[in-house]
Amino acid sequence: MSDIKALLAQFDEISGNPRKMLGEYLANGEKVIGCFPVYTPQPLVTAAGLVPIGLWGGQVNPQVSGKYSPIFTCSILHSCLEYGMSGAYQGLSAALMPILCDTFRGTSAAWRAGVKDIPLIVFIHPQNRKDPGALDYMIEEYKSVKTALEKIAGKEITNRALANALTLYNKRNAAMREFCALANEHLDLITPVARHHVMKAVTFLKPEKAVEMVGELNKALKDQPVCKWTGKKVILTGITAEPDDLLVSFTENKVAVVGDDLAQESRQYRTDYPSANSALESLALQWLEIRGCSLAHDDNNTTRGKMLVELAERTGADGVVLCMMRFCDIEEYDQPYVIKMLQEAGLLAFSVDIDQSTTDSGQARTKIQAFAEN
Amino acid sequence: MFAVGIDIGSTASKAAVITEDGVIASKAIVPIGTGTVGPARVFAEALDRAGIARSDVKWITATGYGRFSFEGINDQKSELSCHAKGISHLLPQVRTIIDIGGQDIKVMRINEKGTLVNFVMNDKCAAGTGRFLDTMAKVLDVSVMDLSGLSQRAEEPAEISSTCTVFAESEVISKLAGNVKLENIVAGIHKSVAKRVASLVQRCGIEQQVAMSGGVALNKGLVHSLEEEIHSRIYVHEDCQLAGALGAALYAWDHLQPA
Repeated sequence: MSDIKALLAQFDEISGNPRKMLGEYLANGEKVIGCFPVYTPQPLVTAAGLVPIGLWGGQVNPQVSGKYSPIFTCSILHSCLEYGMSGAYQGLSAALMPILCDTFRGTSAAWRAGVKDIPLIVFIHPQNRKDPGALDYMIEEYKSVKTALEKIAGKEITNRALANALTLYNKRNAAMREFCALANEHLDLITPVARHHVMKAVTFLKPEKAVEMVGELNKALKDQPVCKWTGKKVILTGITAEPDDLLVSFTENKVAVVGDDLAQESRQYRTDYPSANSALESLALQWLEIRGCSLAHDDNNTTRGKMLVELAERTGADGVVLCMMRFCDIEEYDQPYVIKMLQEAGLLAFSVDIDQSTTDSGQARTKIQAFAEN
Repeated sequence: MFAVGIDIGSTASKAAVITEDGVIASKAIVPIGTGTVGPARVFAEALDRAGIARSDVKWITATGYGRFSFEGINDQKSELSCHAKGISHLLPQVRTIIDIGGQDIKVMRINEKGTLVNFVMNDKCAAGTGRFLDTMAKVLDVSVMDLSGLSQRAEEPAEISSTCTVFAESEVISKLAGNVKLENIVAGIHKSVAKRVASLVQRCGIEQQVAMSGGVALNKGLVHSLEEEIHSRIYVHEDCQLAGALGAALYAWDHLQPA
């Protein structure tokens, strides 16, 4: 038990102090690449001998980013730009930015104007993923990222190095999926906050370190007796579920998080890099295999709803909470379809507003409490 | 042995006292909310009207935005659950409830037991809330209580944005500068609120009958606009403003019943 507490404390520390992690990497003489959310080709970064670190913004009231970013910019990109402009990300050798929505496009220009010391490596995921040319397009985009990273690393990224990195990331994904499954057997130990901290901390860790730490936690969890949870259970879906106060509201109301479909959490770990003719092709193929994500276009608008209903059935969830990133239009568009399918499946579904510019979670707290009471 | 429910909202405090036999003994409303003397005053007033002392009260349940900050309570419940329980008691046939509070809008679907089966609530945005109406009344230099009468004398509602309180305020000032009749501006404001609320009603889904709770339900002009937007009659009980406090009192009363 003390092992688990000590391990969880480490994840808490990492999750809450990405700047400290960046400092440690830099002090070690390593070059670090910031990775905007989500689906950045991190295996390329690792294969180049560089360190990838997630850029998730944070709870900050934007002060300087307003120069380039309108107030209705989605909360997470607004805070990332704020941190970039205010120096919080200083030391990064570059930042990788996928243009997954219109806000990314605008933010890429704002970043170039406002963040002079961190070069931006921009690439585009093809949204028409059924087109035969989509794979070639993705490979070409990743080739341009590869070239930029090789310049920073001062060395070539070989097919073998990338293949090894893909294997490592698949191991990490497996460890994370195992953690999610084990967490559901130990809901007394893995609170919503603890679960989130593990998932988020991994985005700041080197993949080999993540495999090691999560593997250790999984081993420790397996040694504990299974907990019979008597409270309600929910699944979280959206981009992120922060700040911690929001997650504490679940614990206060005896509601456990038994699964997630969050871009910051499980969406990153649920699609492996498949076998392919080359490592670069495998890297690109992963994008074509992603399902049920608002950031990856799908002609079938029932995919995400179906996945959530299945996840709820598998985990025994009573409801689904849609964590709506403020001003995230793509998540807003998905909401009606998803809610309809969840309600038809007899699940209670409600949304909470995720806004990184304020720490007030009063209305979300009321909704979570109402869910628990009824 | 009495049970008390206190609803501490952002703009008003409400309380209800229930006797051992489940009869409403008193009700009180004070037009100031959390962070003021309102909650203490409304509690004292409700006890005074019931003719009882603090020692006669066995259970107090708080609800509303300020439910965590009132001292001496036995427990607290979300306002969604309390409005559902309160309206179910006042109007048992109701299955859809619309509550426009000081800083949020709630739409709830309930079953025959008063249990929530679905709910939608706006998030950090004042558009369409009671605060929105307060702001507009100030801009127009009229009392919020007069909005209902004014809108009922309108000939043609002015077009007012339903997306943002700040934008709407600018629009109202612009209408005033353009000599648009006050009555038409007020009707436009009601229409704007009604459109905003109707979109949440659509998201939640309507099941008959529909009722409104909360103080804004006393604004007949707004209720009429909302009826037009959602194409449904809306029932309003005379104690609509007390629905949350009554629901809390009923929860408190439940606690006093033998298991």
